[in-house]
Amino acid sequence: MSEPATAPAGKAPSRAAGRSKGGLWLFVCRRPVFLAGYLIVAVMAWLAVFAPLLPLRSPVDADAGAYLVAPGATHWMGTDAAGLDVLSRTLHAPRIDLAIALIATLSAAAIGGTLGAFAGLWSGAGALRGAAAAVLLRTGDIVQAFPVFALALVLVAVLGQGTTAVVIAITVVNVPLYLRLMHAETMALRRMAFVEAAQIAGAGDVYLLRHHIVPNASATLLSQMSTHAGTAVLIASGLSFIGAGVRAPTPEWGSMIAMGFQNVVTGQWWPSMFPGLALALTVFGLGQVGASILAYADPRERQRPSRRAWRAFVAGSR
Amino acid sequence: MKMLRHLAMRLLVTAPQMLGIVAVAFFLLKLIPGDPAPMMLGPLATQESVAKLRAEMGLDQPLPVQFLAYLGRLLHGDLGRSWQTTNTVLFDLAQRLPATLELVSLSLLLAITIGVPLGLVAGRWPQGLAARAASAYQIVAGALPDFWVALVLIFFGYTVLQIAPAPIGRLDIAVLAPDAITGSYVIDALLVGDFDAMRSAAAQLVLPVLTLGLLYGVPILTMTRATVQRLNETDFIRFAMAKGLSPMRVSRHALRNALPTLLTVIGSMYGTLIGSIVLVEVVFAWGGAGQYAVSAVLNADLNAALGFVTAAAVLSLGIHLAVDLVILMLEPQ
Repeated sequence: MSEPATAPAGKAPSRAAGRSKGGLWLFVCRRPVFLAGYLIVAVMAWLAVFAPLLPLRSPVDADAGAYLVAPGATHWMGTDAAGLDVLSRTLHAPRIDLAIALIATLSAAAIGGTLGAFAGLWSGAGALRGAAAAVLLRTGDIVQAFPVFALALVLVAVLGQGTTAVVIAITVVNVPLYLRLMHAETMALRRMAFVEAAQIAGAGDVYLLRHHIVPNASATLLSQMSTHAGTAVLIASGLSFIGAGVRAPTPEWGSMIAMGFQNVVTGQWWPSMFPGLALALTVFGLGQVGASILAYADPRERQRPSRRAWRAFVAGSR
Repeated sequence: MKMLRHLAMRLLVTAPQMLGIVAVAFFLLKLIPGDPAPMMLGPLATQESVAKLRAEMGLDQPLPVQFLAYLGRLLHGDLGRSWQTTNTVLFDLAQRLPATLELVSLSLLLAITIGVPLGLVAGRWPQGLAARAASAYQIVAGALPDFWVALVLIFFGYTVLQIAPAPIGRLDIAVLAPDAITGSYVIDALLVGDFDAMRSAAAQLVLPVLTLGLLYGVPILTMTRATVQRLNETDFIRFAMAKGLSPMRVSRHALRNALPTLLTVIGSMYGTLIGSIVLVEVVFAWGGAGQYAVSAVLNADLNAALGFVTAAAVLSLGIHLAVDLVILMLEPQ
């Protein structure tokens, strides 16, 4: 959504000029909301790896005697209708949820970003390349014509429900966003003196991408990836919520919320509320990390975004 | 004349996009592992009956021929049959889409009533209290999962405070649906003068509309705020302020200028919402197209699932087209 800086030569000094002294870390520490985002992401990432080491009850073995126990001393977040410990399951869930988000976002950025960068280099170039770029962009447009969650849902239906299908579905719906993003970034960078100079010196497409385009577009790309990882968690848990994604008893926030659904209506709020809070915190954290990268890299007033950029913003916002 | 030419141009661009959407749907259909014919006939089907059905469905033809046949069927509005309901998918969707569109439209209306005024104020006075409240709202509501917010609202509205009706669909059990005229229960009940049905339908709408409106007010707020903030630095707004126009009048100028972008965002959101509403429909047992799609996905009813996503894509493309035309009317240059 952001437009790159307009007139730098070399590795985008105009962006660097706006940076605060002390690098990203100090920049973040001065802004409590960003800092909270980083802390949450760090905690969730830690849990994704080390949750099994914590002295918790088993997240998958039910205690038949503990049916819907309210939060208290023995079960801090209570137990669900199957007698599973909500705290343990909530803390074990980042493993699958973050893994899905990470894999899907990385694949989407790798595929969409590469295609988009080439499309950017090729747009307006010779007949064959220009046509290839146009085909890529139009294909992206068509995929984006589908409402995001509806497309993900149908992809899961087609591929057969399960974790792999969820990862592929989220990747597919995200690829056009990176295609569009890297296309715009590359188009803008391509016009800059240092890229033109490299081109005149005989640099090939791959060299240009590796040494000039990707490094200069990395801030925007990283920021989008972080935010999209948050959206990916939302889609993954949404698919699991309706029963088309991760299956119980694997601890996963969306399916936990679904399991507690009936209990919420009758007054036992805890099996659904805690995983929902953890989910919301994670999405918030990833969004703030993304926002901080964008603000750090380009603190100046951003240029007027195009209508297309606003459409992409809506598509990527949820 | 210019309008007509633009319209023709837009349609020319839209036609290949429609074709693309159909191609994606066809591709998805072909992506399904396994042969649909034996699946439709069940495990007891004979070899001959499977072969007969395959020939009937055109599955023995080469792919391009199959695609053309698929396209032809779609042009006739034939989205296939749902094996769950045994109706045609088109019939099922036509029955359920009004429920979805009613919810989407009202939610967007609420989102606009929250997002636009707040965005105008927050953009106008970026250091003010309203701006800070707007930022907090953006950060919090931007991260909340809609299906979970729906549950929270049910818990407080229905379970604890008992002011909202049970999440059991568009009407209370004891109330009969009014005759379908527009498809919106509230309007239909009003038209036939059935006030009980109207009250019940309106009450059922409160929680889902609140859920979606609160969450989807965020993109509208973000957009309005950014646009107004940018406008603050333009000469014509400075001039308007220097001239001593009241904040109200200045806001009106700003809003008029933000209108094209605002319409674009709202149009995009309409399309996105048809997809995202699925989860909220499930929570409230809404019985719209989204819930239909979910049960289709869970029961491998692929015609129905594909029909839903194709209809959603075509709908959102149509909305884009309509928005483009409205913007053209607003800004003829």
